[in-house]
Amino acid sequence: MTAITTGDHLVIRVAAGDPDRDPSLSTAGFDGPIVNVGPTGVPALEPLIAVTAAGRTALYTHCSTADLESITASVEETGDVDGADPDAVVSHAPDRNRLPTAPLPGLRAGDRRVLGACSWRRPTSVADHKAAGGFAPSDAETVLTVGNSLNGRGWGDLCQDDPLAETWRTARATDGDPVVVVNGHGSPADTLLLSSAPFEVLDGASVLASTVAADRIIVYASSEDDNAVKTVSSAVDTYPDPAAPMEVVTGPEEYRAAEPTMAIEAIEGNHRLEARLRPPGPERVGLDGRPTLVHTPRTLAHLAVGLREGIDEQTRVMTVRGDVDSVATVELSETQKLSELVDTVGVDGSFKAACVGGRFGGITRDLDVGIGVEALNNADLGTDGIVDVLSDARCLVEFVGQRASFAAEENCGRCVPCREGTAQLASLLRNVYDGEFDAQAIAELDRVMASSSICVFGERAGRPVRTAIEAFTSEFKAHAEGRCPAGTCLEPLEA
Amino acid sequence: MSSENPQQIDAPPLTEEIAPGTATDPPVGSTDVATVTVDGATIDVAAGATLLDAIEAVETDDSVPALCSYDRQEIGPRSECRTCMVGTDEHGVVPACSFPAKDGLTVQTGAADAAEARDVNLDLVLSDHNLRCTTCGKNGRCELQDAAIEQDVEEPRYGVLDDRDEYEPIDDSSSFIQIDRNKCILCNRCVEACNDVQVEGVLRMEGSGQDTRIGFQSDAETMEESTCVSCGHCVTVCPTGSLVEKGIEDATTIPLPGFTQKNSVGKTDESTGTSKGPMTPKKRTEHTLETPTTEMTDSPSDDGISSDTWDDDQSGGDWL
Ligand code: SF4
Ligand code: SF4
Ligand code: SF4
Ligand code: FES
Repeated sequence: MTAITTGDHLVIRVAAGDPDRDPSLSTAGFDGPIVNVGPTGVPALEPLIAVTAAGRTALYTHCSTADLESITASVEETGDVDGADPDAVVSHAPDRNRLPTAPLPGLRAGDRRVLGACSWRRPTSVADHKAAGGFAPSDAETVLTVGNSLNGRGWGDLCQDDPLAETWRTARATDGDPVVVVNGHGSPADTLLLSSAPFEVLDGASVLASTVAADRIIVYASSEDDNAVKTVSSAVDTYPDPAAPMEVVTGPEEYRAAEPTMAIEAIEGNHRLEARLRPPGPERVGLDGRPTLVHTPRTLAHLAVGLREGIDEQTRVMTVRGDVDSVATVELSETQKLSELVDTVGVDGSFKAACVGGRFGGITRDLDVGIGVEALNNADLGTDGIVDVLSDARCLVEFVGQRASFAAEENCGRCVPCREGTAQLASLLRNVYDGEFDAQAIAELDRVMASSSICVFGERAGRPVRTAIEAFTSEFKAHAEGRCPAGTCLEPLEA
Repeated sequence: MSSENPQQIDAPPLTEEIAPGTATDPPVGSTDVATVTVDGATIDVAAGATLLDAIEAVETDDSVPALCSYDRQEIGPRSECRTCMVGTDEHGVVPACSFPAKDGLTVQTGAADAAEARDVNLDLVLSDHNLRCTTCGKNGRCELQDAAIEQDVEEPRYGVLDDRDEYEPIDDSSSFIQIDRNKCILCNRCVEACNDVQVEGVLRMEGSGQDTRIGFQSDAETMEESTCVSCGHCVTVCPTGSLVEKGIEDATTIPLPGFTQKNSVGKTDESTGTSKGPMTPKKRTEHTLETPTTEMTDSPSDDGISSDTWDDDQSGGDWL
């Protein structure tokens, strides 16, 4: 099989994140070079058809089978890629091996490196990945050097926001055969990589396994992420010469199941998931008592791409959702701002605030903040890579109330500061509606949850509330006086 | 899962059937003998020690309740109550009962952030506790009561579990052991006593969030229906009035006519009166292995907020 990225012949790419909407399924009769690629990370554009020839690509968004037929017919007739009224046309090198930037929501963000394969190379094509420089071996020293300057991404990563190499050295030096766990649970960016660029992730896992002399690579994902599980499973089956045997294991869909030690519990087959104590962390005593490295697909894809292309200029993969025109997972340079992330899609309504850093992210009304770890930390925002945009139709008290009650419902139940603390936090927020806004009590509880919970679930569960009180004190006070400035949440109480 | 899993091969078949529902924690003690400083005093501890071992060896500035700690007979540390938080120069606030006593560590029991954490966490334990001491069988010999007295708790910040509608029925079905889950602090001692010491495989931790509770590894709903052999070990280790031996469940009740442990809660699962089969560990084989695999999801997922995608349609304060 040859790669679809070589030469300047015609290629018609069909990207449909949802297989049920794949317009190419009924095109078996077509006599054209139609290939299925993985999702883009911008579901609103899909099914997306990209017609490429001789360094030009025409993009057609949300296509039906009929659209595909007329696009194919037009290409056959005219020989032009853009004969059927495309939504965007871009020029690029004829042998380009990544999805080009295009003036479309979510695709106008920065140049894709880690996400480059998404919607451009066939997810499980060995030839496509090889043509992009994939499957390249690396020696341990190079891997460790790159790992010195790379941080783990996402809350499912054992080394979130910390340099990776030190933990790798620990695992390598610990007795027992190490295990590499690819934790693809929960985050939209990680699910995207598993379903659209699985070889980048497995490349990272394989070089890491050879670096630490691991004898097992386990890809872990939510059993609900069908597409990701299916695609990564076939990538595992076709991966040429992995450094250690690879397998895919699924766990329950609950949010908490992404926590690194709960991921290990799920892989071991425990019927009930709760966090493990540490220290010692999984890098010393992990899966079946062995040294275990748990990294997200993002972390491992950054490693693989970093080894190929250098890491002088680092990027971050981020998902923007909530009150936006379309949900998008994009890749930006670390030097860019949150405002640029939101601009790649556009706000639905007028912007009020954003919850930065996933479920238990921080609330900000200021988007003039860098997306790098340090800038986010300084602003008390989260680094999980998910930003929920809130328009002015949103009530912040209600929003953080939902986050607190989610925490109260979804924690594993093991430790008191989280199990009982989240319940009390939700109740302190309910009191606001009864006229009792006790900011001090909330702050005290938040501090204790953060300092004494067993895992990051409880450590961070108070952050939305803490940061919202900081940024929107007047809204809390208004609620205590019986008024909801956004007008969304006081009626039901009176009913 | 894998044939090369060394622990599964080495484990005796009996314990492999046991599914206590709890995480497999790493060994948390120090790897070597160590010298640590606690409130200015220098202490030598043996390999395997935690900071709590060092703290217990000296007269500390502040009292450290360490409520859930037991740490005897293969039990603990569960490290769930977090009333043992102490300050360290090296790692900030840490749980003494499960933090390795690494050589050179410097501990302050009086650190303000640690003291605050101990107080708040003890109040959080009480917030979910039916504090009806006067009708409790453990009145006067209860570790939670002791801790609350020792810490001068007068009015717990978050109140106590005082809503009769929220009380779980007392399980009074067994002739030997009574369970009042309204008094349980989820310290897991009973589960470990039952599984790791007695190797009976009766009790387990189940549920999540506020629904976390002590239950049975068989499908039993009550102690009477369970495979319990009435060895009583769980009762011995229970720090509160949650597990008490029948016959003395009212022993320490303050003698007010008409007030008993049972009517303090109001709802009770009584014995069905049907005689039980032979109490031998053998009957465990009838129910093994079904339980672990059938319950992968143990939290409610039909309430609209448990999935990981943020639901934009939620509005109107429906979290209240
Ligand atoms: S912090 Fe929450 S989720 Fe983590 S162990 Fe404690 S109860 Fe479980
Ligand atoms: S009395 Fe029953 S439940 Fe308690 S430890 Fe013994 S066998 Fe287990
Ligand atoms: S019943 Fe007693 S021993 Fe068992 S978890 Fe509850 S408080 Fe601990
Ligand atoms: S005694 Fe340490 S957490 Fe309970």
